[in-house]
Amino acid sequence: MDYHRTSVDEVLPGSQGFQAASAAGGSPATRRLGPAPAAMDAEAFRDASERILTAINTVIDGKAGAAKLALTVLLAQGHLLLEDVPGVGKTLLAKTLARTIDCSVSRIQFTPDLLPSDVTGVSIYNQASRSFEFRPGAVFANIVIGDEINRASAKTQSALLECMEEHQVTVDGKSYKLDEPFMVVATQNPIEMEGTYPLPEAQRDRFMARISMGYPDKDSEMEMLETHQATSPLTRVTAVVTAGEVASMIATVQHVYVSQSIKEYTVSLGRATRESAMLRLGASPRSMLQLLRAAKATAALEGRDFVLPDDVVIVAESVLAHRIILDRKAASTGETPQSVIRAVLARIPVGTEAAGAVGGDRPARGKTAAGSAAQLPNHR
Amino acid sequence: MTLTPQRGTDAESASDAGTTGARDATDPAPGARSTRAKVGAQPWMMGLAVAIAIAGAALGLNGVLRGWAWYSPVLTVVFTVSLTIAGLRALRWRTVFVELGGLASFVLILTFTFFRPQSIIGFIPSGATLSQLGRYLRRASETVLAESSPVAPNAGIVLLICAVLGLLVILVDALAVPLSLPATSGIGILAILIVPAMVKPQSVGVLGFAGAAIGYLMILGCSHWFAPDPRTGADTARNPGQFKRAVVTGALALSVSMLLQLLIPGFDQGTFPQGSRLNPFGSATGLNPMISLGNSLRSPSGDGRITFATNAPTTPYLRSVTVDSFNGDTWAPDDREDTRRQGTGRIDSGLESAATELRVVTAINTGQFTSPYLPAPYAPEAVNGLAGRWSWDPATLSIKGVDTNSRNQQYLVLSVAPQLTPDLLAQSSAPVQGVPEQFIRPPDNVPEIVRKTADSVTAGSTSAYAKAMAIQRFLRSVTFSYSLQSPVQGGYDGNGLSVLADFLTQKSGYCIHFASAMAVMARLEGVPSRIAVGYAPGRPTGATVSIAGQGALPEFEVDARDAHAWPELYFQGVGWVPFEPTPSRGVVPSYATEGAAPSGASTNENNDGLIPSRAPNPTPLPGAAPLPLPGAAGQASPATQLLPVLYGTGAVLLLALLVASPQLARGRLRRRRLNSARASDGVPPALPAWAELRDLATDYGVAPHPSETPRHFSERLRASAALGGPDRLDGAGHGAVSALTRDFERRQYGRPDAGDGTEGAAGRPDGRTAAVRIAAVQASLRANARPFARVRATWLPPSVLSRWRLASLAPFRALSRRAQLTRRGVAGSWTRLRAGLRRVRRG
Repeated sequence: MDYHRTSVDEVLPGSQGFQAASAAGGSPATRRLGPAPAAMDAEAFRDASERILTAINTVIDGKAGAAKLALTVLLAQGHLLLEDVPGVGKTLLAKTLARTIDCSVSRIQFTPDLLPSDVTGVSIYNQASRSFEFRPGAVFANIVIGDEINRASAKTQSALLECMEEHQVTVDGKSYKLDEPFMVVATQNPIEMEGTYPLPEAQRDRFMARISMGYPDKDSEMEMLETHQATSPLTRVTAVVTAGEVASMIATVQHVYVSQSIKEYTVSLGRATRESAMLRLGASPRSMLQLLRAAKATAALEGRDFVLPDDVVIVAESVLAHRIILDRKAASTGETPQSVIRAVLARIPVGTEAAGAVGGDRPARGKTAAGSAAQLPNHR
Repeated sequence: MTLTPQRGTDAESASDAGTTGARDATDPAPGARSTRAKVGAQPWMMGLAVAIAIAGAALGLNGVLRGWAWYSPVLTVVFTVSLTIAGLRALRWRTVFVELGGLASFVLILTFTFFRPQSIIGFIPSGATLSQLGRYLRRASETVLAESSPVAPNAGIVLLICAVLGLLVILVDALAVPLSLPATSGIGILAILIVPAMVKPQSVGVLGFAGAAIGYLMILGCSHWFAPDPRTGADTARNPGQFKRAVVTGALALSVSMLLQLLIPGFDQGTFPQGSRLNPFGSATGLNPMISLGNSLRSPSGDGRITFATNAPTTPYLRSVTVDSFNGDTWAPDDREDTRRQGTGRIDSGLESAATELRVVTAINTGQFTSPYLPAPYAPEAVNGLAGRWSWDPATLSIKGVDTNSRNQQYLVLSVAPQLTPDLLAQSSAPVQGVPEQFIRPPDNVPEIVRKTADSVTAGSTSAYAKAMAIQRFLRSVTFSYSLQSPVQGGYDGNGLSVLADFLTQKSGYCIHFASAMAVMARLEGVPSRIAVGYAPGRPTGATVSIAGQGALPEFEVDARDAHAWPELYFQGVGWVPFEPTPSRGVVPSYATEGAAPSGASTNENNDGLIPSRAPNPTPLPGAAPLPLPGAAGQASPATQLLPVLYGTGAVLLLALLVASPQLARGRLRRRRLNSARASDGVPPALPAWAELRDLATDYGVAPHPSETPRHFSERLRASAALGGPDRLDGAGHGAVSALTRDFERRQYGRPDAGDGTEGAAGRPDGRTAAVRIAAVQASLRANARPFARVRATWLPPSVLSRWRLASLAPFRALSRRAQLTRRGVAGSWTRLRAGLRRVRRG
């Protein structure tokens, strides 16, 4: 599997990638990593995640939250959409994240004339062997950085769709598996809208989270001016974890326990967005799945092996805000998707007592706890 | 899609908050900012609307109060208070201060209007103001108790009305604006309308109803116009179709309410109090003693005690007023204001009886009994010693106060009682002459049963006396029973022809029914009749009263339970003669007794057990010494003396239990939780311990929000002043809270097979640690709480109270949910129906 090197426009040294399973089929959960890598113990997991975050934070000042969320998305096997004004470090964050991990990285600069085959790859007729030969596109890497994704035509954008969802590329009726872990980090620029093709809803829904970087605070900006004058900070970054370690970390995340009450909380959250009068389009069931995966990754990064409602709350805004569409009236009153999500979070009761014992393997709950459940007001 | 850098920072900081799960649960509603920004005309329009609603509803009080002089102070108070509130709101004062300011302006304007001489510089209340207020309030209460509507607008009653209306302005405003319940604010307006509805026979009246309705609609309109739904944006308030919809809905509601009272059987019958009928164009005025008689009889305590001493050989009936018109739904006394004569010094009793007359002197003390009509034995010739101006009606000899009432009157009545005999009455066969038409004319629309009964009962009787005796005999027969309750249960309590029909069917009722049955039946048979309302002969008190020229006379007493009604029939050449058709009440006059019926001695023996029969012997004890306290006299046995003590103790115990019940409930709940935690009988101790922690925090003012995560709540609790704040890290309390949180999270969200979850002090997963931790938290909370909070947490724990409140509201919630579902269903089927109709019309 060395073909992916040829067409990437930037390949990092030593990015051999780890053995990816080429076996087709299987459920998404099992398909990821053929012989599932062993889950790490808590100590090693914390150590690895600390290393990654420290490395990113040395490059990007004052953006610990964004860095952590990016790592969360990586560990939850999602794709990340970075959306902000130019020059706040979107691409830098993407590159740094990619560089801290010892894996293959490719970067695609999206332009209006970029063709789908540039992304996915193309079959070329080989005169010598008198046969068609597949030339893999830029998407064949562990981490794909899609810069200014909204500048590409809709056709090219949708070429990414299959890759992101299916983790495979289909060219001339033939499917090629992508390496695992596979993550697309796309950036887009919200203010320069001329000549852009805004991402369709379907494609937005495929990104697990959208992060807005925001401007750094004053101290961070001062520090950046001092330290990053001469050299690019990126040069100092070296890989701190191997792709294998990342795969183990992902396996660890998959083992995080989600209780029944958390599932109920997530579902009621999603239903509330669909029933909200302020929204034209609520959160999809897929987004609920991704919300839960992101919450699991957050819990793992916190050193826990079970999800708390807090984990769901922390990632909810980033995971849900870019998928929902405001009602026109709500938009005109100054509501934002973020504020709507916050309002929904402030309304939905957390299943602290009412639920939780439905799992079956939990001991039956006594009258006492059930009695106190009565005080939870019935929303709606 | 516009993304501003500012928003980016927001998102950043939110995610920066990281593990804390920081989320502002108390984030204000999205619309709150925009409404706060612009104040504009809203407070003024709202103030005006409230003032119009209250002042408009107060228009209905005309008729309760005489004239319009009272209206200008009402307007002053109402508009001052509402405009003060509006002004303060326009200045963007905080809600509490706006209401307090309204209250202050209310006190000042009342002082300025009513207590100017008794106040400091004209409007600041002082001690003198309070004593004057007491006087005014006494005056008002006397007016309310004594006078019949319309009452003269004296300062006391006007002050009372102004005060109530002013407070209602504040209440309505508070409901409509800060509490955002504009629809509910109608309760305050309704409270005003209830007064004329209950008091005035013609109900609220057009003016008051229209005024209240306009004001209420203005309140609704203002709140809708100026406070758009924050979810859907500003432009809904000016939705063009809305006005049309509102008009259609309103018209529909009005016509349904108009039709409903016609459709519901019995709505315009005697069952309902007269004011509850929608009768905006009624004309009758005056208080109706017949309405209140049934209630007086049913009152368990005999208030309105009247004592009187008389030299009559038999205890006389005391008569207040007569009812002579038997038409319409409700019979009421006809005051005949234009033919009344002033002064009671000489009353022309108009008796031309051939019988010997007995002159009777009666000294009456009315005590607390208040009525516009004066009780007196029939037929009075002179009343002396009255305070105030009184008038009498030549036709009925009823005595009524012009500007006063019967309260605290002590007077001497000289009356004549003709000594009638059956023979005398039997001789009276001449056609009736010289009696006003109103006593003769049979009522219109007499129910068939009444006419039939009258005819069958009097069949064979020729003379008027024979007819009267036949009717009385019929009503006193065993088929009729005396009952205060059955008319209420049967829905024919009250009076009127329809009630009469019911009574003759059910054959059970009380004096009103018997008296009106006899009166109506007599009239149908051509005997002039009327109903007298007053008191049956009472009981001797055992005391004697000395009257100049008469010596010591035995004293009697009557009270509300002796209230009575009896028919008076007119016999040509004899005059008006009372009869007693009510079984077991009163005394049947000697001329009306049957030959062998020895019913003369029975006085009020059977009163459905309401009146304990005492002193059945009506003859006074001769030579009895006057007792200092006639009412309280009596040889009480030790058992009856003990009874109040027992009742008192029981009441005190009950009260104590009531006061302590929230605390008891809280303590019981806590013990159960901690015990179950300790027992480890399958219940993981972390769960009850966590519930207990939540309740503890609620009790001390840090209530968990339903949408708050356990961790966030725990952090808020630890940061709050209830646990001493974040800087005064109280080791035990803070540590216990975080340990309890940790246990709960592990138990609730962690792997089910991860063990019990309680990290016991010595690694033991038992519930004792949980109990110890709860105790630590409680101690810390107590130590940091202020005295008031401590007392409240102990005696009125908010956690228990809110749970009780929720439980008590549960049926209403279920009901409203059901109503909402029904409404949706109806709306859906209406839409479908309309769509179907449209399709049909199209072809």
